[in-house]
Amino acid sequence: MKVKSSYIPYLLILPAFAYLLFFVGYPLVQALYTAFTQNGQFSLATVRKTFADPYFWEALKYTIALAGVIVPTQVGLALILALAVNRAFKGKDLTIYALTIPLTISDVAAGLIWYSMLSPSGFLNKLLLNIGLIHQPIYFFGYQYRHMEFLAIVLAELWRATSIVFVIILAGLQMISNEYLEAAEVFGADYWTRLRKIVIPLLKPSIQSALIIRTLFAMQIFGIVWILAGRDIPTLAGEGFYRLTELKEYDVASIYALVIAGLSLLLGALYIKFMKAEYLEVRR
Amino acid sequence: MATRLEAEEKTGKVTIDLIADLHGGLDFFASKGWLEDLSGRKLEGRTFISTFEKYATINGKKVYIPWMSATYVMVVNKKAFDYLPAGLTQEDVMKGTEKWTYDALLEWAKNLKDATGQPQLGFPAGPKGLLHRFLHGYIYPSFTGYQAKNFDSPEAVEMWKYLRELWQYVNPASTTWDAMGEPLLRGEVMIAWDHTARIKNAIETNPDQFAVVPVPRGPKGRGFILVVAGLAIPKNAPHPDEAWKLIDYLTKPETQVKILENVGFFPTVQEATGAIPSGPLKVIAEGVTAQSATPDAVVAMIPNLGEKGGQFTDAYRTAFQRIVLKGEDPEAVVKELGPQVKQLFQEMGQEIP
Repeated sequence: MKVKSSYIPYLLILPAFAYLLFFVGYPLVQALYTAFTQNGQFSLATVRKTFADPYFWEALKYTIALAGVIVPTQVGLALILALAVNRAFKGKDLTIYALTIPLTISDVAAGLIWYSMLSPSGFLNKLLLNIGLIHQPIYFFGYQYRHMEFLAIVLAELWRATSIVFVIILAGLQMISNEYLEAAEVFGADYWTRLRKIVIPLLKPSIQSALIIRTLFAMQIFGIVWILAGRDIPTLAGEGFYRLTELKEYDVASIYALVIAGLSLLLGALYIKFMKAEYLEVRR
Repeated sequence: MATRLEAEEKTGKVTIDLIADLHGGLDFFASKGWLEDLSGRKLEGRTFISTFEKYATINGKKVYIPWMSATYVMVVNKKAFDYLPAGLTQEDVMKGTEKWTYDALLEWAKNLKDATGQPQLGFPAGPKGLLHRFLHGYIYPSFTGYQAKNFDSPEAVEMWKYLRELWQYVNPASTTWDAMGEPLLRGEVMIAWDHTARIKNAIETNPDQFAVVPVPRGPKGRGFILVVAGLAIPKNAPHPDEAWKLIDYLTKPETQVKILENVGFFPTVQEATGAIPSGPLKVIAEGVTAQSATPDAVVAMIPNLGEKGGQFTDAYRTAFQRIVLKGEDPEAVVKELGPQVKQLFQEMGQEIP
């Protein structure tokens, strides 16, 4: 059978489109309906109820604060690591493997690992106590120590999810042709100039995709926070889950889900608008 | 199941012979008149614990046979007994005498912190923890006599002030713990409160290190929750005699021990408690039996609020968070939340417990 070639692109995206329609589109419509209706009538009562709850604003604040601290640090760290690894040296493969190990670990497992390391009787406190640096264990967990819980979450997230950014940036680095760098060297550009004028601009597409992926995941941050801080540090996804499973407030939980979706859309759009990739050959 | 039973009872075509449910569910079915009165039937060779018997009799009718039970207890690392406050003995704690009070717990917890430099008390105050059960079923009845009726009473304000003081000696990481088995095993706390199923792993790993003890008492008695599952026969069931034979089998002491061994629910007949082989389960069962047998018991049953159950527990958690963790004025908070709690029972047409 011969298919008209103009149909082919549509046929090719059809499976993905059907998948999205069923697993994203349908729940989205359902969530909108649950959130904005009451007894079959349009109503803003649920929105008002959600916005009146101090937990909502705390969750929004902490979700954005965590993303604001974690994502830029991850990109910076990943860039340094990728630059360090992107040259020939002995044990290069082993280093890359070691750096990507956390990729294989789920967020809940990572949370548990860091919990047992940072708990008052955990590895870190035992070590510091034994070498005499501290005389009282450092408390990382508990409502009274929320700033430390915040730090613990940042540490755990940096350890767990920097590797995905690292992999993306390293792949980007390897695609930069050596010719550009050699040409720059010929004209006397030092390492920093080459980095600023050639490497970073050429890395922009990679950095952009890494930023989008990480920011969107950061909006859904949940498992690791739930393990390390419970509801001491509320997050949007965690509160949505709590409202749904504990309080059976499907309508309020839908608002949380929609806020996460809305934020993700907004941030994704901002990245695409303000981080236009530059290509040396085709500067637009 | 409730809707099926309702349909069957209303149409008169009953096909269910035997119902097993928690007390709250059976209580509801009984109030609708769907359950057979079982007082005429006899079971040989077993004595039901009197507290359970009492709750199974509703309006003079015996509506179900107590089948199995669960509760929440305190677990004590035996090392903590070295730091008991003056006037309180290990015996007092193990048996749950009148000297084992919340004030004694406060002193004991203070001793432990002074001696070890760290807070040694633990509660499951994490998001999936059961702290709310401690609040409405243990400390509220102990201080105010009721779970919810005196939610905003002066006694409740005293209770919250007590809890705020006690919290200085509670491991702060409690707000991240959902079950106390692990923190006990890791040695992060020496005294903990939790559901029997959630501390079972600690006792099973180290049966010699831990003791399971009754909870302390307050000014109004020793409040604790009993979770009871019972067996009932619906009205007009097609095979009531066969159902009775199954009830007979399920409440035999040897069956009850098997149930405990396999699913961790505790016996409701006294003979079964004596028949548990020594080991971790015996350690837990002894604590549970000692708690049920305390003469000053104020027994609380978990309210059967259906969908609104989450909002009920959330009110207690919110009060805890605002008063104990955030340091808000207890009186203002209970005055604000009290009406909400009571309204839940009114909406469901239930008496406020």
